[in-house]
Amino acid sequence: MSDLKAEVKSMIIERLKLEGMTPEQIDDTAPLFGEGLGLDSIDALELVLGIEQHFGVKIEDEAAGLQAFKNVESLTAFIAEHRAA
Amino acid sequence: MNGEAIKAHLPHRYPFLLVDRVLEREPGIRVVAEKLLTVNEPYFQGHFADNPLLPGVLMLEMLAQAGGFLETEPLAGKAIFLAQVLDARFKGAAFPGDKLRLEVIPDASFAGLMRIKGTVSCEGRVLCTAKLLLKNIANPKGAA
Repeated sequence: MSDLKAEVKSMIIERLKLEGMTPEQIDDTAPLFGEGLGLDSIDALELVLGIEQHFGVKIEDEAAGLQAFKNVESLTAFIAEHRAA
Repeated sequence: MNGEAIKAHLPHRYPFLLVDRVLEREPGIRVVAEKLLTVNEPYFQGHFADNPLLPGVLMLEMLAQAGGFLETEPLAGKAIFLAQVLDARFKGAAFPGDKLRLEVIPDASFAGLMRIKGTVSCEGRVLCTAKLLLKNIANPKGAA
């Protein structure tokens, strides 16, 4: 697991208070919302804030943000891309 | 802003329209509104019969309704609901005759959700502080 991916997973667990869950238990390609991790739209707002605070990446384009929230892999790629920019 | 102008913006009606006046309004930035409590409020009949005081949860509702004025467009006809209550603290009680000041500022927003920070006070005394998450399901983009 890449360092950034592990960091993203830890941030998700911490921010959304997914107690008892470890980064290893989150599948890179499983959907974050609905089935998979089972997050909802309230969690999405928390994630937007968490990503901004933890990685300094602002999600201003909602469509791009929702696309990035597909799974851990897409979210990590989004953060890597925007953090570098 | 008062009376009919408030009704033109919010879908709430008697006995659940809990904003009487909007004193300051900068959509997206800050709203200060007022709710005047009279002894005739329906909830004072039972809360409590011998000791009328405002139910704390109604202070949250007042803040939510005041938060509606942070939106530029009227909310009448749209479905707005409370999605989350965070860090609610009730520090004091409100009684018949009190003039409540409702101050709200936006805290965060994403995909049809707006989180606001609110304070209810009366003559400089803070009665309630809370963060509320409001969901506007008329938002065409929807949420995740």
